[in-house]
Amino acid sequence: MSEPPIPPLGDELHEDEALAAEHALGVLTAPQRAQAELRMAREPAFAAHVEAWAARLAPMLEALPAVTPSEGVWPRIERALPANDNGSAAARMWRGLAMGSMTLAAASVAAVVVLINRPPTIIAPQAPPSAGQLLNARLDTSGGQHLFVAAYDPVRQKLIVTSLVTPGTDPVHVHELWLIPADGKPHSLGLIAPGTSKSMPMPQGLDKLAQEGASIAVSVEKPDAPKHDRPIGPVAAIGKLVKI
Amino acid sequence: MAATAASDPLAELLPRIAAGDRAALRQLYQATSSKLFGVCLRILSNRDESEDVLQEVYLTIWRRADRFEASRASVMTWISTIARNRAIDRLRARGPLAYADQIDELEIADDAPRAEALLEAAQSGEALGKCLSELDERTEKVIRTAFFEGLTYEALAHRMEAPLGTVKSWIRRGLLKLKGCLER
Repeated sequence: MSEPPIPPLGDELHEDEALAAEHALGVLTAPQRAQAELRMAREPAFAAHVEAWAARLAPMLEALPAVTPSEGVWPRIERALPANDNGSAAARMWRGLAMGSMTLAAASVAAVVVLINRPPTIIAPQAPPSAGQLLNARLDTSGGQHLFVAAYDPVRQKLIVTSLVTPGTDPVHVHELWLIPADGKPHSLGLIAPGTSKSMPMPQGLDKLAQEGASIAVSVEKPDAPKHDRPIGPVAAIGKLVKI
Repeated sequence: MAATAASDPLAELLPRIAAGDRAALRQLYQATSSKLFGVCLRILSNRDESEDVLQEVYLTIWRRADRFEASRASVMTWISTIARNRAIDRLRARGPLAYADQIDELEIADDAPRAEALLEAAQSGEALGKCLSELDERTEKVIRTAFFEGLTYEALAHRMEAPLGTVKSWIRRGLLKLKGCLER
């Protein structure tokens, strides 16, 4: 901005905080939201700014009048709860690595970027597998928004992954895919470029680990990071393989 | 605003929900669903869609309860922010056309709930409502519109018939004043 230098007490918000406030308020464009989202995943200070602003603005919501929803809503929620989903230690550990808490909220918007610009990607294998075989995973952020979708065909041992991240939102980082079976030990599946789909053979030895209930995660890494056997950067999105 | 764990009766439910306790989620639902439904309805103006979003909100809480930190926000702040953002996502997903229609409807119906909310805020001695009302009317309106409709700067500029840079400056200055007022 062409403003004079910021005086000590500040007559404007610092650029990072202004951006965080704008993200919490919701005035950024879709690509800017995705970019802010990815920044929150790797910069705790920025995420804290967004959370603080979300908390400052939330009383506008708390001041709204309460309205009782239909009686049918709770039974629908209860039916949709995944069995024992919150129990496992491995699941907790992995979610613990995933980004921000309230950020979710301010943040839940990253995936919408793509969803509003094009219809949701339908993942389909080149040839239909035998019925009931295909496993599917939707990888979501802590805000519950899908950033990646994956499908695994155990018969052909092929994994198809699509990134819903807008290309160019974070040119200085790469997105690394991980398979996390029941024992919680991660296995790298290579990189996935923003906005692309890729079909890859499941590496030898991992095919038997890619079962229903195993997780697929994506971490945000520096391109020149040394070889690592677990994510170094933050886990931006995670989801479980389930039968379709 | 952000209550501490000791004064927040809902805070003990979150660790139980994170551990997979459905009864705890049900308790949270009973205590908070009408507030969160009010949030969804204010943003979406449609009962069916609001109930869909409400369901998503509690499923999100179920999955993310372990991310809640009582030291940083009250449970109500945390979950109502989730509800608002999910409802805004839904609003944006309707697409630009449906979105434009929505805007006109909302503007007409806007005054009553807003006045009511302000009154309620004032009665509960709530700081944000007071600080918002200290802003000039135009700035308050543009901040509330952005917050409840998820409008980008471009869309706000169009709505307010003002240049983009001007709207951006109103909002940034407004946010700065709000922060200052809340810290007083």
